[in-house]
Amino acid sequence: MKDLDRYVTIIGKPEIDEIKSLGKYLKGRRVHHINSTKSGGGVAEILQRLVPLMESLGIKATWDAIEGNAEFFDVTKMIHNAMHGQEVDFSPEQMEILEQTNRQNEKLLDEPADITIIHDPQPLPLVTFRREKKRPIWLWRCHIDLSEADYRVWGALRHYVEQFDGSLFHLPEYSKGLGIPQYILPPAIDPLSEKNMELTLEEVQTTVDNFGIDPEKPYIIQVSRFDRLKDPVGVIEAFRMVQEWHDVQLVLAGGSASDDPEGVKVLQEVREAADNDPDIHILDLPPTSHIEINALQRGARIIIQKSLREGFGLVVTEAMWKGKPVIGGAVGGIKTQVIHNVTGFLASTIEGTAYRIRQLLANPGLSDRLGHAAKEYIRSNFLLPSYLKNWLLLLLQQEHMGERITFLD
Amino acid sequence: MADPFKICSEVGLVVHTNYKAESLKSFLNGLKKVSGSSIFYHVHHALLRRHFATSDHMNDFARWVLEALGQSILSERLASVDPMGTRSVREARNQLVSFVSEYVGGGELFFRVAEGKEFHFLELHSLIVPLKTVEPDLESFYHALKKATLGTFFFHMIEAPIRLAKHSNDFSEWLITDLGEDELAAEIAHLNPYMYNLWELKAKVLQCVRKRLKEDWQQ
Repeated sequence: MKDLDRYVTIIGKPEIDEIKSLGKYLKGRRVHHINSTKSGGGVAEILQRLVPLMESLGIKATWDAIEGNAEFFDVTKMIHNAMHGQEVDFSPEQMEILEQTNRQNEKLLDEPADITIIHDPQPLPLVTFRREKKRPIWLWRCHIDLSEADYRVWGALRHYVEQFDGSLFHLPEYSKGLGIPQYILPPAIDPLSEKNMELTLEEVQTTVDNFGIDPEKPYIIQVSRFDRLKDPVGVIEAFRMVQEWHDVQLVLAGGSASDDPEGVKVLQEVREAADNDPDIHILDLPPTSHIEINALQRGARIIIQKSLREGFGLVVTEAMWKGKPVIGGAVGGIKTQVIHNVTGFLASTIEGTAYRIRQLLANPGLSDRLGHAAKEYIRSNFLLPSYLKNWLLLLLQQEHMGERITFLD
Repeated sequence: MADPFKICSEVGLVVHTNYKAESLKSFLNGLKKVSGSSIFYHVHHALLRRHFATSDHMNDFARWVLEALGQSILSERLASVDPMGTRSVREARNQLVSFVSEYVGGGELFFRVAEGKEFHFLELHSLIVPLKTVEPDLESFYHALKKATLGTFFFHMIEAPIRLAKHSNDFSEWLITDLGEDELAAEIAHLNPYMYNLWELKAKVLQCVRKRLKEDWQQ
């Protein structure tokens, strides 16, 4: 129980005890997660945390990644892009590569398991072995926004999905009208990770100083890749409107754009829009800068996520967890997290964003109210223990199919 | 002989009904056709999900009508459906349907939303987990409630009376039947969860029990 007990100070003992009570019903169940990589990316990151927590409750949780050659991963990258709505040229030969690689990974299913959980599209064809391997329950966890998925590629994969017992999506908007149950299971953040753990005031101040941000002047921040869909130039335009009223700084902190030609271009546009303004800090940070981002968010007065399109938006979850007032674009999962005027503000335009920034800068009481509600909303719904609880529920539900209310003995 | 109280908690799994509405017309159809479990999720369960927002206990339907359709008058009426003022999910559904039907009237004003802003009807599969058995005395009950989660308060005070068609909340029923504490039971039954957030509700229930315990101690 040691792992789960680390969260007692964050969500309270009663909540942890409730999760342990649920876990008792699943003791000894063999749960096998399969995805496409053990390192890198959000799926591996969440599994690295989820699997040990399941184990700590007595569930025999295991995790494997399918192996494939470069050709296979080219195909899966193409599928990934198509799922995100990009038009791709997907041929029957590429489908064959996907299926063949999955056949080669069939040995992953040799050990018995009560519940097999496939993450994302890459290992989908493994489900064709469900009878042969005598594995009774199969669930598909989709971590991708499928709402704009290329219909040809999705059409080719759908028949695999419909061989599962259930599918899991982050948001209702991602569901696909399937003939199997579609569970809504939002993602979560780990409050103990480097990105989210508590920092001392000194650590925050040191980071702020290191980046050359004036500690005497408040700053607003947007943390995001340099990507047009995150509208960094729009943020600068909103900031210009705010500057007429407030002496304030703007920080745009983004991931490294060196391997992304489009990112390099956007970063250039952002620098041009900033026009060497000493109050605008553009930080092109390496992907390992978790503590730095954490400190920058904690030091900010307001956090912005002015996305034009967004997945669930875990960066917003992280911002809200730090008790900051967030102004977010009214898109994707931001709408689920930011309840307008309760846990933050939603804004769809540059002018609207500027107005909300001004309102928050002028009204610390309002900032405190929104920031406090934001933190509590995340605490109740989008932290790792809640995510684990939802998984336990889902696993238990498989043993009580067809019931809308189940009383556990 | 008095029976112990079994403290439970509600944990809910959310499932898509495969039904979504892009206009008031399809929204009305959805309200009529979806399962009671879906109505319960969007009206009652919203209390648990957004329990921290004391003054903003809007159910999901009212919120969508306001945010996606911009229909503030209809939204206000939908928000007035008090989950605790309706004795069953069916009654809540009837109220919602009548408000939307009246608003739409015989006209053709169906207020269509942009793509991506549809209302997704979800439903709740609830698992009720037994957490603790409390000895049939008020002091044990008080200490157990102090340590209980908000899910416990949601289940015993909201879900059980509405979804399991009980006359009152579980706490009040047990206080009458097993402890003969009719006055305290009435006091707790009088608390309307719709008027508070769940923390406040928990604090109020505890306050009622504490007050009663103090009377005992003073005697």
